[in-house]
Amino acid sequence: MTLLSNALISNDARAASKGVSLMAVIKVPAAPKSSMNQDRPVSALLKSQILHLQEAEFRLPAEYQTNIYIHSIQTEGDAGEYIRQVTRAIHDAHAARIRRAKLKTKPKRTSTKAAAPATPPKTKAKKAAAKKKSKK
Amino acid sequence: MPPGLDQLKHIVVLMMENRSFDHMLGALKAQNPAIDGLTGAESNPDTAGNKIVVQNIAEFQSQLDPDPDHHFPAVDLQIFNGDPARVPNMQGFVKSYFNQRRDLAHSQKIMYYFKPENLPVLTTLATEFAVFNRWFSSIPGPTICNRAFAHYGSSFGKVAMDLFYVNEPFKSIYNRLIDATPKHTAKLYYYDQTSSTMEIVNLLQHQPELFGTYKDFLDACEKGELPDYCFVEPNYNDHEGDDGEELASDQHPDHNVQAGESFIATIYQAIRNNADLWKSTALLVVYDEHGGTYDHVPPPACTPDGFVATPNDTGIGIEFKFDRLGVRVPAILISPWIPKGTVIDGRIFEHASIPATVTKHFLGSYDPRSPREKAAETFLDLLTSPALRDDCPVFDIG
Repeated sequence: MTLLSNALISNDARAASKGVSLMAVIKVPAAPKSSMNQDRPVSALLKSQILHLQEAEFRLPAEYQTNIYIHSIQTEGDAGEYIRQVTRAIHDAHAARIRRAKLKTKPKRTSTKAAAPATPPKTKAKKAAAKKKSKK
Repeated sequence: MPPGLDQLKHIVVLMMENRSFDHMLGALKAQNPAIDGLTGAESNPDTAGNKIVVQNIAEFQSQLDPDPDHHFPAVDLQIFNGDPARVPNMQGFVKSYFNQRRDLAHSQKIMYYFKPENLPVLTTLATEFAVFNRWFSSIPGPTICNRAFAHYGSSFGKVAMDLFYVNEPFKSIYNRLIDATPKHTAKLYYYDQTSSTMEIVNLLQHQPELFGTYKDFLDACEKGELPDYCFVEPNYNDHEGDDGEELASDQHPDHNVQAGESFIATIYQAIRNNADLWKSTALLVVYDEHGGTYDHVPPPACTPDGFVATPNDTGIGIEFKFDRLGVRVPAILISPWIPKGTVIDGRIFEHASIPATVTKHFLGSYDPRSPREKAAETFLDLLTSPALRDDCPVFDIG
């Protein structure tokens, strides 16, 4: 049996669940918007998350590093911005690594023609240039 | 095999932050005496020698500021209260909190706990599905080392928040699954890039492809494309997101507890709303550690982990052999195959139970694991209902 008082169970929501007679619909109140505080000082948890991200950031190629001085991070808002930039950089650097690896391992294009010429055929432009040269 | 276990394809773990069992669920004892919560008579002495009794007047926010200390030395004081014989007595919580602000009245707030009606999501899930009377954090210490036990079955000798690198013999549960034959799928979902993950140094840094966001999780649930194993992290900070203001949902003091309630409800509903997923998924909601808040159950001894934290590491002048668990935390297992009102008693669980359970279910025998994980209880035997329940609650999220 649910421990919630009936006051927490919305009649409208109950109606919405018609057909499932035993199913309770539980109202979940939203936290007030006034709870938001990006100026809250960073907690020990966020501080260690920042340190760990900095450790990861230092291992990234230079072009992905943020150059943010982490000791200047004082608030949750500041922390979030640093966390966002480094998390994105880690993903971007990883994606670039994968792209490079794919390029390296990409097999050479093989012609369907078994006996491809050793030298590429002259293009129209090259042929024209060669003709012009020989006329001179 | 019970039908629920036979149909189980997905295990989802949602790990919240820093609240003890009694702080969140202790009041449920009054509703169901089988739940090992509070009688209302439990107490701690304050620094003036007064007896401070627990009270059900915990608030969503602004009460536990500063953040109660939960590093190793503080938790040692909370558990042993300086007892030279080192018998755990859970009598040092008020003294520990006093050390931070030197304010006698404020230090008593560490004994406050929630009324059930203030936590409609957590208390409904606890009473509708299976609540664990004995799920302990893995270490009497802070977040990072405790979360490591959920990912690796060990913290590799660490008892704090410092950087560490995994010991190669013990792979993460994610690597075990994706490296297996046949291959399994696994993902860690952090909230968004501005919140990110707590598993940075080993996994995010080296294998960012293992990660997704909360939106990716919701999308995967809707499309029925959830990986075999998912670990979900809440939002760790208040920030501006793509869709406006995002409140921290981790319930870490001093973040709003109601925001965490909504977050738990959305994870549950995302699974619940997809009928195929609902009947083939087990969701574990658990907290990483107690965050300094009061609990009355002394943590038991456990199988040593094979590592030793030095006196310098512990900060209490004595070494720690990882032979005792941390403070008890809320843990609830959710599935339509779990009989309503299940209370798991007489068995001890900890975060190493997570990789132990996932490994057992998806891989069967797998030897290279920590001694703690090998000894850890697993929990899928709780899916005992002979038929799929059709009376599971739904949340109307405001």
